[in-house]
Amino acid sequence: MSNPTAAATASATGATCWSCGARTAGPAPFCTACGAVQPPGQVDHFARLGLERLFEVDMTQLDRRYFDLQRQLHPDRFARRTAREKALSQQQAAALNEAYETLRNPLRRARYLARSLGVDLPDEGRTIDDPELLMEAMERREALVEAATPAQVEQLANDAAGERNDVLQSLSALFAATDKAAIRAAILRLAYLDKFTEEARARRFSMVRAEP
Amino acid sequence: MSYSDKLIDHYENPRNIGSLDKGADDVGTGLVGAPACGDVMKLQIKVSPEGLIEDAKFKTFGCGSAIASSSLVTEWVKGKTLDEAGTIKNTDIARHLALPPVKIHCSVLAEDAIKAAIADYRAKAGKKVAGAEGPKTGEVPAAAE
Repeated sequence: MSNPTAAATASATGATCWSCGARTAGPAPFCTACGAVQPPGQVDHFARLGLERLFEVDMTQLDRRYFDLQRQLHPDRFARRTAREKALSQQQAAALNEAYETLRNPLRRARYLARSLGVDLPDEGRTIDDPELLMEAMERREALVEAATPAQVEQLANDAAGERNDVLQSLSALFAATDKAAIRAAILRLAYLDKFTEEARARRFSMVRAEP
Repeated sequence: MSYSDKLIDHYENPRNIGSLDKGADDVGTGLVGAPACGDVMKLQIKVSPEGLIEDAKFKTFGCGSAIASSSLVTEWVKGKTLDEAGTIKNTDIARHLALPPVKIHCSVLAEDAIKAAIADYRAKAGKKVAGAEGPKTGEVPAAAE
């Protein structure tokens, strides 16, 4: 494993440092022995941010870890380093951003965890015919179209936000119990609630803007 | 990304927006969704006693391509038999509207919606036929003589 090419392509976890040859410990972006920046590797998003692999995430902790790592990977710190270190730090920063964006958004986080459990989620281009969920989504969207004042829109948005909270609560328990069918159903519901929230915001914005 | 004139026309002047009576025996309803983008589409057909689609309505909450795809399908199916309507492919819709590659999934939604509406109508009609032809024990159907 002293071959530098192998080390550069291997997973960061337990790989050998390309610079000093030491076994680098864990998913840290830097070698624990010599401090050289390592290739990002295929590290789990939670591990990359030093978080437990749970649906429930402490947002303050997530932000703190992210900004701390982002500072360590800032391009200014690599301005006078070798081209290789510059390139690796950029790859690390991109992987860090991807992990952070995924974990910060509950829907993306849920999808990420669900996929790793082997839950069958419909990707782009796949359709579903769950009548109860779709009827509910349809009625909600119709109500939004019929809402005449910003206050009515806000009421609908609040109802959706309340339901969304319930879904997020239930997801924590469902992931703990690895209930795949219920996880799938909850994620689909969350996707529609998120979409509705986005549409309600746009509708409210256009109403407020249209006011004289 | 530029959209075709046909697509813009269907989006700006959608045909057959509305609802038919979901509970009516001669109406089939297809309700489908694409959870990846949060779209939801309802497509309904009214079938004549001769088995022709005499009316079609849709309601779609989604992007312009999804609205145009469902509008086009309602226009296409009118006057067709259920079998003919069932042969509509998403590729036909995508080609007619010149959908850009990232919007092909909208045409898939429309194809699935018409298929679901046909299936719903057939399930209703099948139930009705089964109910009419399924004699209760001890009953002798008069027509059997």
